[in-house]
This record gives sequence, C-alpha cells and structure tokens, in this order.
Amino acid sequence: MNPMVMFAEYSAVGIAAGGIYALIALGTVVIFKSSQTFNFAMGEMMMLSAYFFYTAAVTFALGPFFGMIAALIGSIAVALIIERFALRPMMGRPFIAIVMVTFGIGSIIRGIVGMIWGPNSLDIPAILARSPVMIGGLFIPGKTARAFAIAVVIVGALIAFLRYSRAGIALRAAAADQITAYSMGIDVRGVIAFTWVIAAITGCISGVLMANVNSLTPSLGLVALNVLSVIILGGMNSIGGVLIAGFIIGWLESVTGWLIGTEFREITPYVLALLILLIRPTGLFGTAEIERI
Amino acid sequence: MAAALEIKNLAVVYQGVIQALSSLSLRVPAGSIVALLGANGAGKTTTLKAISGFLPLQDGRITHGTITIGGEDTSALAPHMIVRRGIFHVREGRHVFGEMTVEENLIAATFAQRKSRPRKVAFDEVYGYFPILSQRRGQQAGYLSGGEQQMLAIGRALVADPEMILLDEPSLGLAPLIVRDIFQIVEQINRDKKVSILLVEQNAVIALKYASYGYVIENGRTVLEGSAAELSANEDIQKFYLGVD
Repeated sequence: MNPMVMFAEYSAVGIAAGGIYALIALGTVVIFKSSQTFNFAMGEMMMLSAYFFYTAAVTFALGPFFGMIAALIGSIAVALIIERFALRPMMGRPFIAIVMVTFGIGSIIRGIVGMIWGPNSLDIPAILARSPVMIGGLFIPGKTARAFAIAVVIVGALIAFLRYSRAGIALRAAAADQITAYSMGIDVRGVIAFTWVIAAITGCISGVLMANVNSLTPSLGLVALNVLSVIILGGMNSIGGVLIAGFIIGWLESVTGWLIGTEFREITPYVLALLILLIRPTGLFGTAEIERI
Repeated sequence: MAAALEIKNLAVVYQGVIQALSSLSLRVPAGSIVALLGANGAGKTTTLKAISGFLPLQDGRITHGTITIGGEDTSALAPHMIVRRGIFHVREGRHVFGEMTVEENLIAATFAQRKSRPRKVAFDEVYGYFPILSQRRGQQAGYLSGGEQQMLAIGRALVADPEMILLDEPSLGLAPLIVRDIFQIVEQINRDKKVSILLVEQNAVIALKYASYGYVIENGRTVLEGSAAELSANEDIQKFYLGVD
C-alpha cells in the first residue's frame, strides 16, 4: 500500500482515538479549574460507569438506552458522594494531600469493582456498529469512528454550554477567582459539585465507549493515565489545550505504533509528557501559576 | 434612621492567632454613605470581609461581637447568601474576571440579585451610569483600563441591585480625575437608588467629601467617629489623614 495512504489512515485512526482522550481530559480539567483538585480517580470513575452500564443493560436487561441512563445516574451519584464526603472536607488542604485522596478513592473503586464483578472481561451490548467507515478512500474501524463522533458531539456541547450558558459563566467565574465569585452571589461549592457532575458525565460516556472499543475489565480505567499525559501536554488549566492535546496524543500513539512498532505505542504519551515537562512545564496552552505534580 | 448594617464589638482572628480586629463597632443607616478610615493594616478590609462572610475562606474567624443586617445576625451565613440579602462587596483591586467579557462579568453578577429582573433592564442601568462600558461590552475585561475596571466592578454591584455596597478602595491606583468621576457616579447611585454605601478609603480627603459620617479605626478598634464635617475639622484627623500641618 502507498505509504502516504497508510500514514493518512493511521493518522485518522489515531485522531479518532484521541476524541475519547479529549472527553476524559475535559472532565478532569473542569474539576481542576474550579477547585485545583487533580482527580486521579477519573479512570476508575470511567470504569465503574461502564460496569453500571453492564449491570443495568445486561443483568437487569434494560437494554442499551436505559442502561446508559442508569449508568449516568449512578455515575453522577457516585461523583457527588466523592465530592461531598471525601473532597469537600479537604478544602484548603495542601494540593498533594487532596491528590492522594483521589488516588485512594481510585484504589477503593478498583477493589470494589473487582470484588463485585470479578477480574475477567465481560461482554457488553454493542452500542457502536462495527461496519468500517470510509472517508475519502481512508478506512477507519467502525467502532473507533463512531466513538469519535459521539465524543466530538459531547465535547462540543459541553464547550458551548461553558461558553454561553449562565451556569457556564458561574463555573468560569469560580475557576478564575473563588472569592470574587462568592461576592457575585455564586455558590462556589455548588459549582465545584457541578464540575464533578460534568466529570461523571464525560467519564460515563467515555467509559462505555472505551468498553465498546476495547473490552470491559477492571483495568479499563488505566487509559486515564494516558490522559494524564494529555493534560500535561495541553496545560492543566486550559480546556482548549487539552482538546487539541487529546488529538495529538491519539495521533502520535497510532503513528508511532505503525512506524516504530506497536510495543512503543504505550510509552509514546509518557515520553512526550516527559519532554513537555522539560521544555515547557506549563503545557502548550497552560498558564504559569499552576503547581505541577 | 434605621440601621441597614450594625456591627457591635467585633473581634476577628486570622489563623487562630493574628488579631485583626479587637473591638470594632459601627452602624450604617439606610441610604447613607459612611466612610471607614484608618492606616494600612488597621483592619478596614477585614471589617468588610467580616460583613460579607469572606473570613472563613481566608482562615479568619469572628471570635466576638455581632454583625446584623436589617436586624438579622448574618455572621454565620455563607458569603453567597449574604450577597443575596442585599450586601454587595466591591473588592479592593477591582477583581474583574479578566478573561471574560464585560457583559459576561455583568451576567456573573446576576447571581447576586435578590429579585431577578430582566437582563436588559439591569444592564441598561449599568450602561446608563457608565456609557464607556456599553462600548466595551464585548471586550475582555482584562484589557480595560484601571478606571474602566473599577466602573465594571461597581457596575456588577448595580446589576445585583443591592441595599448596600461595601466599596473597598475605589481610588486605588487611579488618576485623580477618574477618581473624581467615579465618586460622583457613586454619589449619584446613592442618591438615585437609595443604596447605602460603606466606603473604605485611604484617601481621607475624598472619602470625607462624599461621606456623611465616618469612623476611624486603629489597630482593630474604633477610635473616633463623627459626621464628615466634624472629622474634617478634627486636629488629629487633619494631621494624620488629611495631611494638613
């Protein structure tokens, strides 16, 4: 096959995979922007959501549609509980202490999921059609392409919401300056709880998409570690930055896998993250006052 | 006249040890402009933060005394609830949301409204007092001049349509002509809308020109009070705050 066509095809596949990264990163960044909390439990929240989907759709035989709704409700409830009982009491504590709390919550979720659903891969109802999508002669696997389309729609809707709605303005105000936001009558704690709801939604959708594209196991959430490199690349406080970074990382993974070998695929995001930390620690689009982890 | 705000023997401690206020009392009658004077670190801004409920956000705590707004003790309320009772704090240093547009800044202030009113009515009122903001409405607030940012900060208070504005150092870093303009508009707002104003100002000359009554605080306690005319005539005030020899 013509190398240029191959390159284009791998690029398209990579960018499509990056859509889910962008979705996960968006959930992480809105929490970070509003409360300077880096949520290391994001991957586990995703994974738990996918199990909620499985349980509702398969065990209770509700089907994919109501399964998705049940999964969303469950994910939001879990996120609000985490915010209310684990993170709100930590307000004003050192950054690293809060990060460790989210880390611990991630471990707890992984443990509980392992106990309830077991370590083996489960079959979830296919919500994404398998038939490949052809774009201008390029062949893109069906599930990846459709997952990308869904991710892009959700990301677009969320950005429009943050940009134009009154609640979005409250969120940006609280992110920019908490005390002044309070002085505007904005319930900053309510806004922070709301960012957890957004993270629950993006986590739930990306979790179910990932479980469809790959498979449903308790290690599903490990993909969120790739997202850490997305966030380092994009800049932790830049929503636009992490979206672009999501696509860059997805693309790079795919292209390195093709050019150098699939065994290098996994480490690519981390190598890139390391380089970025050395060269431009605030990320491509972030601003300086962020405390790095 | 009825007191819109009354503070009695207020004591405030930061981080459990730093005594910022020890015994501060003042009252702001409805519809008046009251000035709070004092040197750097005397406790002026802390007083405003205590009123608007910001202390817990900065590891501060009221250890003694009461703050009542329209007869209700508000010292335990969360800050966003205090705003919604009609006390709007225009913070020192303006604190506009720099990455948001002028209009988005005004929308943010709609959360402070006690009664919601149509955005257009509220914003037209702001643009009526500050026509320059109307021209800048689509611009990022971070690119406004200092004076315009102060106007926007006061404009946000207008959107909230409060009973009282806590105005902290509105003259800070602004050219004298702009300071005069802003004070004239503040006075006009006070007159038109019967909104009372508690004014904290380093610039005692201008504060006593627009206020009807004033308090002087030193080391966290009220040491002197009187009408603006009395304070202006007081020898100590002339010496320490007005720069008269």
